[in-house]
Amino acid sequence: MKEFLMILKGNGLATLSPEEMQKLLQQYKQWVADLGDQYVTGQRLENHGALLENKDSIVTDGPFLEPKEIIAGYFLIRAEDQAEANNIALSSPYLGLYTIEVRPLVQPLMH
Amino acid sequence: MEAPDSSTNQLVDHLFRNEAGKLVATLTRIFGTIHIDLAEDIVQDTLITALHHWSNGNIPENPAAWITQVAKRKVLNELKRTKSSKNHLANVLKHVEGSNHIEEVFLSEEIKDSQLRMIFTCCHPQLPVASQMALTLKTLCGFGISEISKALLTRETTINKRLYRAKQKIRALEISFEVPSGKDLEKRLNSVCLALYLLFNEGYNSSHRRAVISKDLCLEAIRLTQLLVQYFQDQPKLSALLALMCLHAARFEARTDHLGAIIIFEDQDRSLWNKELISNGMHYLTKASVGKQLTEYHLEAGIAAEHCLSKSFADTDWNSIYHQYEKLYQLKQNPIVLLNLAIIKSQTESIESSLRALEKISGNQQLKDYYLLPMTRGILSLKSGHHTKARDFFQEALKLTRSPQEIAFIKSKLKLCGDPINPGGAFSNRSE
Repeated sequence: MKEFLMILKGNGLATLSPEEMQKLLQQYKQWVADLGDQYVTGQRLENHGALLENKDSIVTDGPFLEPKEIIAGYFLIRAEDQAEANNIALSSPYLGLYTIEVRPLVQPLMH
Repeated sequence: MEAPDSSTNQLVDHLFRNEAGKLVATLTRIFGTIHIDLAEDIVQDTLITALHHWSNGNIPENPAAWITQVAKRKVLNELKRTKSSKNHLANVLKHVEGSNHIEEVFLSEEIKDSQLRMIFTCCHPQLPVASQMALTLKTLCGFGISEISKALLTRETTINKRLYRAKQKIRALEISFEVPSGKDLEKRLNSVCLALYLLFNEGYNSSHRRAVISKDLCLEAIRLTQLLVQYFQDQPKLSALLALMCLHAARFEARTDHLGAIIIFEDQDRSLWNKELISNGMHYLTKASVGKQLTEYHLEAGIAAEHCLSKSFADTDWNSIYHQYEKLYQLKQNPIVLLNLAIIKSQTESIESSLRALEKISGNQQLKDYYLLPMTRGILSLKSGHHTKARDFFQEALKLTRSPQEIAFIKSKLKLCGDPINPGGAFSNRSE
């Protein structure tokens, strides 16, 4: 099993109706339950923060990017390979609201 | 530690939607009608916060209270943030005296009061009726744009435009966030009644009946009317409006078919009618029967009551219904009332006289595109054995609708036209 980071980009929730949000919550809980051990963790990011490009400039309190490029949150999952990880992302209720980038973590060296 | 029974803690139906409706009204009371957008933004943000916190499986014991708490905190943050700035909002908020005032508006009686104020704001007579409905659904009922567009059968871009213009107008007119009183009340209340009545009808008569949203629309109209009835004890018109909504909604489940006209009553399974809603409706109708003012809502509720209380289609007191429709026509020169009067003649007089009456109104401009007119003439012609005529009427009806359910319904009737052995068809009287 490898670990994959799913990076969610966009601001899809802003346009959801209350009813759709409640449905999403239920779908999400079902999705996590279905994943079982393959779900490791997940977190939402605040919309603001700081952007550092070099030692001289710190830009704080975004948004610094186009809305569709804003990182909204991430999930860490376990999967056999990229294909399985992609399928997990495909089954996520967040796909459609956000674009999802699925990237394998570099495996730590075994001692 | 989680309580052992927390697994049974389910999110109630429409929790987010209901809480959003309450909160937008409450927050608008704090920020003023010109900042409805800000109120909506904070509520949206609150729900997103809830969504993310609860995603981890920790849904609180009392989700509604949790949402209120978070909204309150966001309001206080917003106040802190704007206090230092010199914009319009900061000026508006000068009267907001710290967190005591904020605590107060979140009390349940005050939330109801805010919703009443919101009803009068959304249904202000200076706003177009279509905008009144969209705004009511958005701010009071917690509907999203796509849901409003489905409920009102209008494109999303149109709904967006309507909402935008309505809010602009509210700002321009500086409509105050208050329940009107004195001389102003009568006019404002009429406007509110009409908007809620239309909202209800939109849900009840929509040909897209399979969509659950139609029913939600009716239930929301009932809920808001109930709020008004509780507050205005001396307004029989409101009770009449609520009565008519209850008595129609009572038959909601029984209408497995998609037609709202009288004809369909004949085939309805009356055991499916909701007895609780009927008894509520009769309660409000009694409450409405005081004073001197007889409104169209009284008459329409009265007609609905006749139907609800009849044991069967055959037992219906058609003379009483005919009489009430006549009175209704005096108050409201609506061609649909004429259509109903003509149809009822098939019960009080004869099919032939009903057909004659229908022929008389067939030239009416407003009924020109109404498919139920030729449909009714077709059904009655079929009943009296005039199959060729019936076929022509059904063909005409077919040209006037695009709803797949209605087309299927007409086609099922058309089939009967070619079969002289079965003149009564599906509309023969089943109830004995």
